[in-house]
Amino acid sequence: MGILEIHNLSKDYSGTVVLNDFSLDVVELTLCCLLGPNGAGKTTTMDMITGRQKPSSGRILLNDNDITGLDEHEIARRGIGRKFQVPAVFKDLTVRQNLEVAYSRQTSPFKNMFRFRDPGMERKLDEVATQVGLTQRLAIEAGTLSHGETQWLEIGMVLMQDPQILLMDEPAAGMTEQEIDKTSRMFNELKKTKTLVVVEHDMAFVREIADVVTVMHMGAHLATGSIDQIEANARVREVYLGSEEH
Amino acid sequence: MFKSNPYHNKTAQWVVYVLFFGALAFVPVLSDDAFMMNQFATYGVFGMLALSISLCWGFGGILNLGQGIAFGLGAYGMAMTMQMQSQDPETSPMPPFMLNNSVEQLPLMWEPFWHTGWGIFIALAVPTLFCVIFGTIMFRARVSGPFFAIMSLAMLSAWYTIILDSQPFTNGVNGISPPAPLSIGGFEIDPYSGFIYWMVLFLLAAMTLIIKLITTSKFGLIVQAVRADSERVRFLGYSVSYYETVIYAVSGFIAAIAGCCWVVAVQYVSPAQLDVSFSISMVIWAGIGGRMSLLGSIIGAFMIQGGQSYLGDEFLATWLLILGGFFIFVVRFLPKGLAGLLESGLGLLVAKPAAERESAPGPVAGAKVQG
Ligand SMILES: Nc1ncnc2c1ncn2[C@@H]1O[C@H](COP(=O)(O)OP(=O)(O)OP(=O)(O)O)[C@@H](O)[C@H]1O
Ligand SMILES: [Mg+2]
Repeated sequence: MGILEIHNLSKDYSGTVVLNDFSLDVVELTLCCLLGPNGAGKTTTMDMITGRQKPSSGRILLNDNDITGLDEHEIARRGIGRKFQVPAVFKDLTVRQNLEVAYSRQTSPFKNMFRFRDPGMERKLDEVATQVGLTQRLAIEAGTLSHGETQWLEIGMVLMQDPQILLMDEPAAGMTEQEIDKTSRMFNELKKTKTLVVVEHDMAFVREIADVVTVMHMGAHLATGSIDQIEANARVREVYLGSEEH
Repeated sequence: MFKSNPYHNKTAQWVVYVLFFGALAFVPVLSDDAFMMNQFATYGVFGMLALSISLCWGFGGILNLGQGIAFGLGAYGMAMTMQMQSQDPETSPMPPFMLNNSVEQLPLMWEPFWHTGWGIFIALAVPTLFCVIFGTIMFRARVSGPFFAIMSLAMLSAWYTIILDSQPFTNGVNGISPPAPLSIGGFEIDPYSGFIYWMVLFLLAAMTLIIKLITTSKFGLIVQAVRADSERVRFLGYSVSYYETVIYAVSGFIAAIAGCCWVVAVQYVSPAQLDVSFSISMVIWAGIGGRMSLLGSIIGAFMIQGGQSYLGDEFLATWLLILGGFFIFVVRFLPKGLAGLLESGLGLLVAKPAAERESAPGPVAGAKVQG
């Protein structure tokens, strides 16, 4: 029984089928990599899990509770955090403010009106800033960060939320070798306490972090297994031929 | 030379706010012209409206062209309260205009206004409740930007028509002019006195400082994030529509207070207070003064309304043209209004470290949520 279960998810946009009877079980405290060629439906799957899109059919269970069709903020409050494929940070705010906003234990506007200093948040912020290596960059505007740093900032924001499950859409895209190394160490540390679903195209990175790999193709489930099993899988090879990335 | 722009210095901002209102408090000491006190009190009311627009539009990013609804409803509530103070259950239970409209009995919706406390409560609660309901419907459906502006404008026109057409209850186009000033617990608020000026100024200052404080709280930070990218904020666990509704309703509450003060000062209300052009003027005050700055917006209202009364007599015909032209100029060249001009002016005084001057900011990463 997974902590996050996706049952027979389908989605079509006025006739174009994007997800087709896709199912996935994510086991607690593991890191599951979601692979697939461009347009396979990985991001769409995350949109469904986080409530950004409503599925045409199928169910999504979190800790055995049905979360299908809930609003984005309700799903986030239940413990699912998400990093977007195109890093989405608040460019005009400082790095520190980005992390502060993401600390969302208290979501009521009225209670937040009287919140000026929050020692619990300060402690968490120090911890997360160290984890993602941005302690020296807290005072600058997020828009001036390098691409890799922006990725880390958004990962940091997800960590500030302290979710049970972290969905990471291409977290290492645009990173240098060293940055990727650092990120994979970070993820291996994280999965001791969190459950992660990571979409990634970089196979070396996937090899470093994945406990289990699921491959999607044209909106459907293609294969699940260890990275070695997947790389040996004939159907996966066939799908990736000619569309291999990086 | 400064290390960073003093415009953004929190302490400096508080000092300026306190000095500004402190200085204004001395005006009645310098002049005892009762007519002027009354006129300045109405400017204070315009200041409150500009404050409410600055909160909603500048700070919250919600362009509201229908602020006249909350203002007008608040004003009608206060006018009804004051009118009923002049009525007597035994001898004259009904306002004279109703008799002229051959209404037989005091309409039910007028009954609570016998009691001054209830009357004022309703004058503030009804507009706020309206904003909560209308805001919830709009923001839940994710209506935003120009679409919300249009909806608020349409709503305003609807209210205007309802009030205009309910002649027996509202006296239609003639409006309500209570015969006596408001009296609270035996104390009569003389609309031509230093007291009314101080009362309005006190309320304006108190509300401005409270809103200023709130903008520096965690709530303020979340709203800033909503303004930058509301889509992203949802995934952090905040209900964007809830935050938007709260801002819209608080802003409406301030406008309702302004409406009450308006009637206390001028002893008059009519559908003109819900006229589209008046609500648009409020936006123009904030736009010219600087909608991102509470104080800038308030000063914008003072300047434009002051200009209108003092210059307007000479330029009466051309005043609207001058105003319109000025507004276009500001929108085009000073998107943050006169407060923004001050901001960039003070920015020139900042000593930049050599290194920073050389290198431009790094590649701008991050974009709106796309996938
Ligand atoms: N709103 C939409 N309307 C129509 N088609 C859409 C919409 N959103 C996504 N799609 C289509 O759904 C398919 C799956 O897209 P998705 O973004 O999930 O792929 P992906 O696996 O994340 O790909 P990539 O590796 O390029 O990020 C694509 O073919 C895309 O064009
Ligand atoms: Mg994608």
